[in-house]
Amino acid sequence: MKIVTANRLSDGRVIYADASGDPVGALDQAGRFDGDAADLALSQAALRPATFVNPYLVEVDGGRPSGRDRFKELIRSQGPTVGNSLERP
Amino acid sequence: MYRYDEFDTAVVRERIEEFRDQVSRRVSGGLTEDEFKPLRLMNGVYLQLHAYMLRVAVPYGTMNSGQMRRLARIARVYDKGYGHFTTRTNIQYNWPALSDVPAILSELAEVEMHAIQTSGNCIRNVTTDVFAGCADDEIEDPRPWCEILRQWSTIHPEFSFLPRKFKIAVIAAPKDRAAMRTHDVGLQLIRGEDGETAFRVFVGGGQGRIPHIAQEIAPAVPGRDLLAYLTAILRAWNLLGRRDNIHKARIKILVASLGIDAFREEVERHFATLRREDLRVPDEEVARIRAYFAPPPFADLPRTSGAFDRASLADPDFARFARNNVRRHRQPGYATLIISLKPQGGVPGDITADQMDLVADLAERFSFDEVRAAYEQNLVLPHVRLDDTPEIWRRLAEAGLATPNADLVTDIIACPGLDYCSLANARSIPVAQALSEQLADLDYQERLGPIRVNMSGCINACGHHHVGHIGVLGVDRKGEEYYQITVGGSADEQAALGEIVGRSLAADEVAPAVGRALDRYLEVRREGETFLQTVRRLGADPFRDAIYGAFNAVA
Ligand code: SF4
Repeated sequence: MKIVTANRLSDGRVIYADASGDPVGALDQAGRFDGDAADLALSQAALRPATFVNPYLVEVDGGRPSGRDRFKELIRSQGPTVGNSLERP
Repeated sequence: MYRYDEFDTAVVRERIEEFRDQVSRRVSGGLTEDEFKPLRLMNGVYLQLHAYMLRVAVPYGTMNSGQMRRLARIARVYDKGYGHFTTRTNIQYNWPALSDVPAILSELAEVEMHAIQTSGNCIRNVTTDVFAGCADDEIEDPRPWCEILRQWSTIHPEFSFLPRKFKIAVIAAPKDRAAMRTHDVGLQLIRGEDGETAFRVFVGGGQGRIPHIAQEIAPAVPGRDLLAYLTAILRAWNLLGRRDNIHKARIKILVASLGIDAFREEVERHFATLRREDLRVPDEEVARIRAYFAPPPFADLPRTSGAFDRASLADPDFARFARNNVRRHRQPGYATLIISLKPQGGVPGDITADQMDLVADLAERFSFDEVRAAYEQNLVLPHVRLDDTPEIWRRLAEAGLATPNADLVTDIIACPGLDYCSLANARSIPVAQALSEQLADLDYQERLGPIRVNMSGCINACGHHHVGHIGVLGVDRKGEEYYQITVGGSADEQAALGEIVGRSLAADEVAPAVGRALDRYLEVRREGETFLQTVRRLGADPFRDAIYGAFNAVA
């Protein structure tokens, strides 16, 4: 399965396309697509450049990124592992 | 400190309006991301993993308190309350909204700061010795020359679309405190035979995928010809540099492939055809800019300070801070004070808005309104009275800024790595934090003496791993984070690249492995020998054995 992700144009935050192609902030709300449906979802995101910057597909397995870039995608979905400020987790 | 004239002000203002228009065209769909990207990069705006990142230039690392307060305000109002100082003495904000960037740039312009040329294929922020104007081995303050270079290189029409980025560092002492020879061009200010300012010019240094130490191209270029000579260097590279392959585009590749002698001939050929008169900096202009960097009105003070001596005797914590973070100043009764941005287990280079405000207050009250950013990702109060150091230390300590580890092993240089950076292969910050926690014992750190550990999250080497005494490079192995260790690198006047000691290690193996190398150093060093001297005497083998011996024993 694949999901569509990008950064949001206005503030650069990580977004995903949900099942109907709308932007959502959380990975678990991302629509999961198979085969051609994934390519279609990607091209639909690309048609909304005012929201989705540089959209691409990410492989997921059981709702977690699973491809070669799985770790990077996990960090994208959860934020820096060192916390968002000097306050450490 | 340099103050903008009308020309500087106009250039920066015009640039903001231009970028404001570009941002609004991007937001309204008039510009695609591909069209917009080079424009935003030229204004310091990256798109990273989680958000845009704005890199603000701190020219040659010098700021006043008003500028520092403004940086704090920007962190508070437009970001998440903190900023990150980089190895180019710039500050990065990790969370600004694109739509806020024009407003941020306007706020910066009000305090004579900008983000121009902090990215893109142009001449980047010029860096220098963080102890400029303080060190007693300095020939003259290098910063007027840095400012001349800044003015010359800002929006330079010939050099705005170079094959790749171009970095210049200037030093003015035999001791290199600016990693000068890791730069595309390194300039060492010397006295020419005529007694005037001249520059020893080095070219073709750089880190990244194919690291090189810069080689000497000219032994003494007179100051008045500096811009002409640099123009000749840049022109030679601009015409011959590889634009077909991003990994081969830096000047270091050209210099290495032609050889320094052939490259020198190329440069001299261009130099001979230049209208040097047009590029000569008028003496009055040099004098005008120098005046901005005149020494502050130091008081006539005795060489020693009773307050400093008493505090050192009474309080072992202050004594430790004084030993490690307070450096000799050429003016009697004064000192240079390093504010470490490497608290135990902290994020190297990060500083909160409140801390920035405090540093601004201290700079204003105790250091002639001046604060510096060091390429080691620390801050420096350049000119403080020895008498005032106990009070400054107390106030820093209250704000968590008095870590007494300058140049010690936990004064780690680390890039943002995979926690923020879209180019990263692996995280750097958590590895630095683990090492910092493991080596927290300050007595042990002082026993080890000066050791520079540098970490990068990918081969781009923003964390200077090649020239760390111990270098740590994050690599990707089938989607897992691994780390390659180098030993024996150095960024000083005897600059050298570290040697890779063996196979890469898993994240949790790095800190223990570095710890074993350090213990080995304590076993094998001679009296008074630093880590680097020991590595130079013995080579990397003892450290390789210490790092990998534990694994071999198990295997
Ligand atoms: S070294 Fe690599 S990971 Fe680190 S900041 Fe530079 S590009 Fe990013």
